Amino acid sequence: MATVNPVLDNTYDDAAKRTPLVLGGLDYAGVTDDVCKIWEEEKPQKIWFLVLGVAFSLLLVLGACVGHLLMKGTGVWGNNNPAYWGWPIVNFVFWVGIGHAGTLISAILFLFRQNWRTSINRAAEAMTIFAVICAGLFPGIHIGRVWAFYWLFPVPTEHLAMWPNFRSPLLWDVFAVSTYATVSVLFWYMGMVPDIATFRDRCKTRIGKLVYGLLSLGWTGSARAWHRYEIAYTILAALATPLVLSVHTIVSFDFAVSQVPGWHTTIFPPYFVAGAIFSGFAMVVTLLVPVRKMYGLENLITLRHLENMCKIIMATGMMVGTAYGIEFFIAWYSGVQYESYAFYNRAFGNYWWAYWIMVSCNVLIPQVFWIKWCRTTPWFMVIICIFVNIGMWFERFVITVTSLCRDFVPSSWAYFHPTWIDLLMLIGSFGLFTTLFALFCRYLPVIAMAEVKGVIPRDHDH
Amino acid sequence: MAEENTTDPTQGNSKLVGLLAQFDDPDSLVHACDQARQAGYTKTDAYSPFPVHGIDPALGIKRTVLPFIVLGIALGAVFIGLGMQWYTNGGSIGGVSTDESPLFPGYRFKISGKPYFSLPANIPVTFEVIVLSSAFASFFGMWFLNKLPMLANPLHRISRFKRATNDKFFLMIKNADAKFDRGSTEAQLNEWGAVAVEECRQDLTDIRLPGWLRLVALIGAILLMLPPVAIFRAMGMTNRAPRLHFMPDMDWQDKSKTQTVSPRLVNDEFLFADERAMRAPVDGSVARGQLDADPEMYRGIKRDYTPAVSVTTATGSVRTSLGPNQNQQDVPAAAPPAEDVSMFITTFPDEIEVTEELLARGQQRFNIYCTACHGFSGNGNGLVNQRALALAATGKATWTTAKSLHDPMVKDPEKNPIGRIFDTITNGRATMGPYGDQIPTADRWAIVAYVKALQETGIEPPVVVAEEGGAVAEGTTTEPSKTGDGTKPRP
Repeated sequence: MATVNPVLDNTYDDAAKRTPLVLGGLDYAGVTDDVCKIWEEEKPQKIWFLVLGVAFSLLLVLGACVGHLLMKGTGVWGNNNPAYWGWPIVNFVFWVGIGHAGTLISAILFLFRQNWRTSINRAAEAMTIFAVICAGLFPGIHIGRVWAFYWLFPVPTEHLAMWPNFRSPLLWDVFAVSTYATVSVLFWYMGMVPDIATFRDRCKTRIGKLVYGLLSLGWTGSARAWHRYEIAYTILAALATPLVLSVHTIVSFDFAVSQVPGWHTTIFPPYFVAGAIFSGFAMVVTLLVPVRKMYGLENLITLRHLENMCKIIMATGMMVGTAYGIEFFIAWYSGVQYESYAFYNRAFGNYWWAYWIMVSCNVLIPQVFWIKWCRTTPWFMVIICIFVNIGMWFERFVITVTSLCRDFVPSSWAYFHPTWIDLLMLIGSFGLFTTLFALFCRYLPVIAMAEVKGVIPRDHDH
Repeated sequence: MAEENTTDPTQGNSKLVGLLAQFDDPDSLVHACDQARQAGYTKTDAYSPFPVHGIDPALGIKRTVLPFIVLGIALGAVFIGLGMQWYTNGGSIGGVSTDESPLFPGYRFKISGKPYFSLPANIPVTFEVIVLSSAFASFFGMWFLNKLPMLANPLHRISRFKRATNDKFFLMIKNADAKFDRGSTEAQLNEWGAVAVEECRQDLTDIRLPGWLRLVALIGAILLMLPPVAIFRAMGMTNRAPRLHFMPDMDWQDKSKTQTVSPRLVNDEFLFADERAMRAPVDGSVARGQLDADPEMYRGIKRDYTPAVSVTTATGSVRTSLGPNQNQQDVPAAAPPAEDVSMFITTFPDEIEVTEELLARGQQRFNIYCTACHGFSGNGNGLVNQRALALAATGKATWTTAKSLHDPMVKDPEKNPIGRIFDTITNGRATMGPYGDQIPTADRWAIVAYVKALQETGIEPPVVVAEEGGAVAEGTTTEPSKTGDGTKPRP
């Protein structure tokens, strides 16, 4: 069977040896048992109930805020002249960006044959879907009359007698985000079918047998089925790769296609995509370190996985930092006074504090990952990753609010003030996200068992 | 061939599907698959917890057509995505635009003069439509080719097989294979390294759908039809009750509309002291475009004329009362009976230049407003006149025949100068109603010009016989449209 490697540290680099991605000498049954024990526990751990309880309370807060907003109208937010795009769009871009790491891990790393993705891709994809749900919430309720949401889509409506304007970036957004959510769910579910079949075959309760039996579609693991499945999975990965790049590109078009100084720049698409991957990986680390500790998955989500993610976080963080620098260079080089002022104002105007929070969290703090101890110490990297996500939220805040509050006409300059509803909704969206993720950990396979078994070395490999 | 259906009491009424051999690691599975293929078996399948490398050639599995299905769908999506945007945003081919379609017309967004259909702006949505369709194609194409979902499968009844999704590997040689033989196939499987060989049997006793399930399905289907039936019924009938408002959609708002009473606030207080919800204009204010200070232009009366009697109306504007006029309730009965024709202008006001365009405009307006009574030729025999005469002949109504514009008194520039014609149109005369509120000033002057041209043609009123039913045709000579243009009506 596989090489027995009792050492938990697989972060060494030895060119002569292939780095093991599954530790503890786990064989096929061992992988299955390790993953299934989370779900087979008679009673979940107390900490799970605690997390779910707190998250669910925050979800109720979010529900109350949404109900209040539907009753009163969008005026309950701080959005007002001139910052008509306030926290809702900031939260939207923040959450969509988080989702991108999941697709990057599941699709792009798959196409590049990066086998280390196998034990983290399932959780990362789940994170993608839950983040996109949180993201979709904000523009969804921002339309005010949510019961007319179908006007966003080209549906023939008798009393509207109009169609969407297909030349508008906001409409591209509708198509991009809804396509992204749908394809992510398909990709996630398809990857999960063989693992749900494992659950079905191990399940002891009647209701579990029924639910997992239906969800697994009668999967048997036939070689013919695997053959078509692998090709379909590769096609989905090949589709999801340009899709994930297009989504944040189109989100950045919401800003870049407008004329507002600070938004009207061609660097936005690559800069937004890099930022999305940056924040998404930070969120994956923030989620997986506690999950691996809680469920004893150190043999599957190894230090090497975490270290690789830290390296990606540092790389994308520096890309984002480069983009910040280029923005300033172009503002000066273009010679446009509005553009120059927009960036001078960001760094030294009345939102200087937000700008420097963003730069410190996104560019300076991740530099600690140059040190090996920092990127191989789980608790420490979680702290860094939380800073990264704070920084990325502020990046969207800086882009949205500083530009709107200082547009062409000085008479419309103002300072943005969020309301309590803004704040509670942001916190509540974390409640929604965490509730979904906690339920996912308990009731669905957290790790892609079938894929991990495929990377366990076989006898003739060595 | 082995037995099809067995009556063996231990097996019950069941059918042999094939022989299932278990292996403990992927390499021995691949090896056994290779052996089975070389032994000539074709109806075989292998089951493993993860895709095993090298099993496709070992089993002789051909490459799937799925990529081509996805490609086909993706190419179709290019046209669907572009076509959807082209159609809904009012694209056009050869001057025919979809926004004129009778059913679900496209909608043209006029934004900064940009083209209604431009490829660069339509690429993002087209791309997303391609990706979405292709993703569905590969997902459901995989289902379709793998015959999923297939919830009933005799394999799931074998307890050993439960480990096919965990850590064991299986090879099945099916009964349907031409080379299958119950005894020798089992021997071969053992020879190829099988850990265990087991029969896979399909139970034939309970493969039929239970009868009660059919009944439940039927009742369920009928019940599901009820909501759409109710909806379609409601759509096809009229109802005087107000519609249900699940969402108010800003239909009711706390606001006061024009010309309404002020809402009663606390303690009998109103928005304004006069209890109106709106404010009247300040006395003497003139709305934009409503300054009619020039009497020649707006009333057809000479500037230097001092009216004998003038009546100040409630709004403060001055109107000269002109003879007996039943339509003007605010004119006192004591208005001067004698009409001073000299007050009217005899030429067009300075602002009006009589051109061919003005005459064409006048003809068009005349045909709309005047012909109903006066007729197209101005002979006073329009359709209203004909109908009213027919009714009057039966004694059902009384009717004063509309004036012919060719009447010598009407034509006489002394007795009926241009300004008076304008005044007649504006304020009405005798039984004729006023048109000042319906026809803008410039158009009234255009009609005056056209009337003068019509009179210059000198067409005599044709003899009209009011027949029963009122269907009376005017003579063929009463087409003044072209002849009128040639004359210059300036007196």
